[in-house]
Amino acid sequence: MLLGILLAVVAGSLVSLQTVFNNQVNARAGSWATTTLVLGMGFIASLTASLIFEGKGTFSLQHMQLWYWVSGAIGVGVVFCLVQGIRLLGPTFSTSIVLIAQLATALLFDSAGWLGLERIPLTPGKIIGVLVVVAGILVFKFGGRRKTVVEESANPSV
Amino acid sequence: MKGILFALLGGACITLQGVANNRISQDIGTWQAATITQLTGFILAALVLLIVRDGSWQGFKQVKPLYLFGGALASIIIYSEVMAIQYVGVTLTVSALLIAQLCVTFLIDLRGWFGVVRQKMTMPQFIGILMMIGGVIILKL
Repeated sequence: MLLGILLAVVAGSLVSLQTVFNNQVNARAGSWATTTLVLGMGFIASLTASLIFEGKGTFSLQHMQLWYWVSGAIGVGVVFCLVQGIRLLGPTFSTSIVLIAQLATALLFDSAGWLGLERIPLTPGKIIGVLVVVAGILVFKFGGRRKTVVEESANPSV
Repeated sequence: MKGILFALLGGACITLQGVANNRISQDIGTWQAATITQLTGFILAALVLLIVRDGSWQGFKQVKPLYLFGGALASIIIYSEVMAIQYVGVTLTVSALLIAQLCVTFLIDLRGWFGVVRQKMTMPQFIGILMMIGGVIILKL
């Protein structure tokens, strides 16, 4: 249990770091050039890890189903939707909805046990837990404007 | 309204990505799943880039080299997320992941790391994070 949470925390921390890095690239190179670079880097890193940990097993793709090959398109859809959402709604509102949709979808998949997941029955406790997390997100995102630290905002080193 | 639909779909797809990676991992292994999804995503994004031509490769030269490697983190992210889903399910994984994500983003904003404009911490952000952690504890009960 604890290991699972720990792994999720590692993933979340790295998502944050990656987002910050990608935003820096995005500001100079545009969103599709950035997306292409990011996925290319992800491919090289994953292939390298696969070769290190699985060796020749990397290329024994025995039970491939057709949709496995196109599931990478989901990531491209994500980028498109996020860019459009932010353009139309602004970052705060858009990101709040994205986060809530992530949680709602997670709850749906757990309860239904789709795509080979171990089914986790939907209980009132689960719904309350998710609602409290959602409320936390809303407080985090909308609870008062955050102040930029003006005196040190001019940072010539970066 | 259109913006809300895009945001909802985007969020749903982020979770779907994790679930799909988990499913593919069961057949061919987690690192292989990461490799294939990143490769096909890369090819598709490159095609879109060729069509819309919004990017400039020159732009990459103006970015600190470190930032260009952000994408490489995806391999560890995918691996950790898939493993987490197998241990604790999707809901708990996504909840813990989001809390960590917001906390680290918050820390980066607070310290002004990686060229991010520094921002002060306010009480609502702190309360929001505590509420989210409370929610995860309820989920675990």
